[in-house]
Amino acid sequence: MFIDVYGDTLCALVSAAALASTGHNVTMRVPKGPAATTLARGGCPFREPGLAEMMAEQTTAGRFKLARVDEPIGDKTSVVWLALSPNDTEIAYEAIAALPAGPERSWLLINQSTFQVGTTEALQKALRELPGAETAQRAAVAVPDLLTEGGALQSFTQASQWLVGCDSDWAQRMTAEILRPFNRRVDRMMFMLPREAEFTKLAITGMLATRLSFMNDMANLADMLDVDIERVRRGMGADKRIGEGYLYPGCGFGGLSFSRDVMSLASTLQLSGIQAQLLDQVLRINERQKESLFRKLWRYYGTDLRGRKIAIWGVAFKPETARIDNAPALRLIEAMWAQGVQVHVHDPRALSALAEWAGGPREDLVLHQDPYAALVDADALMLVTEWKAYWSPDFAHMKASMRHPLLLDGRNVWDPEHMKELGFEYYGIGRR
Amino acid sequence: MTDAKKRQWDELLTHGATASKQHLADLFAEDPDRFAKMHRQFGPLLFDFSKQRVTEETLNQLFELARTHELSEWIARLFAGEKVNDTEGRAAMHWALRLPRDAVCQVDGENVTTQVHQQLERMERIVAKIQAGQWRGATGEVITDVINIGVGGSDLGPLMVTEALADFSTRTRHRLNIHFASTIDGSQLSQLLRDKKPQTTLFIVSSKSFTTIDTLTNASTALQWLQRSFGKRASSSILHCHFVGVSASPDKMTEWGIAEENQTGFWGWVGGRYSMWSAIGLPIALKIGMQGFRDFLAGAYDMDEHFKHARWEDNLPVLMAMIGVWNTNVLGINGLAILPYDGRLKQLPLYLEQLEMESNGKSVTREGEPVEHATCPIIWGDVGPNAQHAFYQLLHQGTEAVTCDFIVPVRRYHESLHHDAADELIAQHELSLANCLAQSRLLALGDAALKNAESEPLYKRYRGNQPSSTLLLDELNPYSLGALIALYEHKVFVQSVVWGINPFDQWGVEMGKKIAMTTLGKIRGEDNELDDTDVSTAGLLRRIRAEWK
Repeated sequence: MFIDVYGDTLCALVSAAALASTGHNVTMRVPKGPAATTLARGGCPFREPGLAEMMAEQTTAGRFKLARVDEPIGDKTSVVWLALSPNDTEIAYEAIAALPAGPERSWLLINQSTFQVGTTEALQKALRELPGAETAQRAAVAVPDLLTEGGALQSFTQASQWLVGCDSDWAQRMTAEILRPFNRRVDRMMFMLPREAEFTKLAITGMLATRLSFMNDMANLADMLDVDIERVRRGMGADKRIGEGYLYPGCGFGGLSFSRDVMSLASTLQLSGIQAQLLDQVLRINERQKESLFRKLWRYYGTDLRGRKIAIWGVAFKPETARIDNAPALRLIEAMWAQGVQVHVHDPRALSALAEWAGGPREDLVLHQDPYAALVDADALMLVTEWKAYWSPDFAHMKASMRHPLLLDGRNVWDPEHMKELGFEYYGIGRR
Repeated sequence: MTDAKKRQWDELLTHGATASKQHLADLFAEDPDRFAKMHRQFGPLLFDFSKQRVTEETLNQLFELARTHELSEWIARLFAGEKVNDTEGRAAMHWALRLPRDAVCQVDGENVTTQVHQQLERMERIVAKIQAGQWRGATGEVITDVINIGVGGSDLGPLMVTEALADFSTRTRHRLNIHFASTIDGSQLSQLLRDKKPQTTLFIVSSKSFTTIDTLTNASTALQWLQRSFGKRASSSILHCHFVGVSASPDKMTEWGIAEENQTGFWGWVGGRYSMWSAIGLPIALKIGMQGFRDFLAGAYDMDEHFKHARWEDNLPVLMAMIGVWNTNVLGINGLAILPYDGRLKQLPLYLEQLEMESNGKSVTREGEPVEHATCPIIWGDVGPNAQHAFYQLLHQGTEAVTCDFIVPVRRYHESLHHDAADELIAQHELSLANCLAQSRLLALGDAALKNAESEPLYKRYRGNQPSSTLLLDELNPYSLGALIALYEHKVFVQSVVWGINPFDQWGVEMGKKIAMTTLGKIRGEDNELDDTDVSTAGLLRRIRAEWK
């Protein structure tokens, strides 16, 4: 089929590349912005295993083309695929308004964007207001984005479930046909109403966030009760009713989409007059958790941090990204600045974003290209983002560089016993 | 009293003998321009005294009285930093707390402006840190609740202003609540400690001398509450993270344990009831931000300048004060009701009770003689519409003559935070305004405000002739409230000059505190001698001790 994919999200690129790889003819329509610029230069704006290669293959094969959002739609196109950012609803309606509509021309719109619950139905209404709706098929389907970043391509090509929200047989058949190659061994399609599919996506995100906040709460208790959360986590994960995913305590989750989706769910509920009490708490616990390493530092140094020099490893909101949206490191840096601390930061990819966030050079922020340089004369090291390169560093070099060998491990990547043997003072999240 | 003063008093009383026979209704009937002649505007304040029982002749007589009492010279002394508080040998320079940065003020070789602004900057640092959510408790948690421990001037002013200006609260990322604990019996503190978390609570201990027993017992209860939670060993972090001190006595603060960097100060030349313009106003600044606090100071400063420079005929504090003298000393009115028609000013009557009665509730002149005329009347009040359901009956039909200050903003509810319900709320404000005007009108005119009053039975009749002033504020905001309070401060000063008393001391409140200390021993059984008191006290003590056995 001829499919036009709209969006500059990771989801848009993954969907477009994967659809092209099964023979669909895909036109990528990317709103103006940094992602569009990178794509125009032949690059890939996201680092996801296999994504760049697949895009290159499909481009060579002629099934993956770039176009502007406002370029005319080809004659053969019959599917519009939206994977826009949550704030880009405007673009969705503009795209619909620009569709060539005649009495013979049917349109299927697949909405993968995380908009407010109910948006897909509103888009369908807009679609049916185009001329020709009496004679041709027009339908919008919600297929929420369930990608896990870091394994995005795989989570599309081997999806464990497809949530398909639609309210007509035609739309259901068409969607099943488009996704047929990704739904072979077992039928993983679940059909429901569009708003149900949208809400399910938000509920999944809310549940995962709840698990994380719950584990952080447990880790804080573990700290107080002298219990090692790592053993507790394994014990819990072994229970089939619970499972292993999303049980890692840490110094808070950040990221654009994750926190935004939870907030979107919370606000959806609030608008309807219901208070999302639990989700409210989940977000609050997370905000508090972002400062957990600061609190450990504060207590360690007797509530006076003036003149200290503290190193941070990792400011990206998670590994493998250059973004710092809602990242815990930002909260830590602000807290330390307010107490007169000089912060030395290393991050493999997010330093430029951090410099921009800091709004110009300042004496209490020093950025380092070399992680060990950040440690020279440091009074403590905070590990905030678990980049793979931090998992087994040169500990001897670290200890020799630091003024005081205090490690605050926000992701529990190091082994407490081993660290103590090496002469470090080690604090994890709920570790002993 | 000099002969000139005596003569002027006699002349005023003679004028009063005839003037007091005129009913306000007649005064209004005689002169359709009465309002035009008898109101003044300064900045955001309109002062209407046309419903006071005065004529132009009265005002002239009153100004003459002020002249014979050397009001101008006394104003000059006040603003020169002379030791106008003679019994304590100190100046009274609360006005200096409101000086703009570039004002020149040298007293005894000290650059007062610089000192004042240094303390404002100290305050600003504390406020910025707390409002940013970067003031940390001993465990590193963000402080979300601030409890002001203080009493009298360290409580009433900040409490009154934080409530009055709640619409101007700074929006902070973290929730930030301000609370007040003042009573010696711990009533408020015990309530607060029940639902606040030690980890996120900061205490401001405010006391000019830092020896006030009410405040120090509350502070010590707070300290023990924190110690129970964090353990005694954490004492230095508790003091470092959970206590800020405001005092004119840094040594006493240090002795108590307030960390040096958490101390803010003011000076001996600021009286307690005049101190909310200093660091005592920290809770105000935490509520409305430092910019709001500076606006508040600016309103007061502009009133200071007006007081210093405006002709008495246009001078709001002088007019207000002299009309008060007229009411007290000539018309023999012993009650002044403060009636704000704005629920945000609920604490204002309490605040003004202290300001006026602690300042001018005196009966000994500066020369050490008994006064020859009555001084400060009894002042009380409440939010007007509520008081209408309480004591207005007495105002309208009782046997006491009472004068009233009606205080009301013209505009309200136009701030964005009220947007959703603005229409309904504005309608409520209109109702409040209407009540304010109706009450002052009926109090002044009595039956003359009604149709066919003569046909009604006596118990439905209104005597009227109760004088009142109306203070119309453009709106209630930091600037206008600052100006309003400074107006009352200077009114009090002007009256003290005419009455010949020192408004800046308060010896009357000292002895009771001392007797309380010896009585405490008797209650606790450390002192079993009861009959050295009096039979009433001894009887009560016996009953209390019997109950506690």
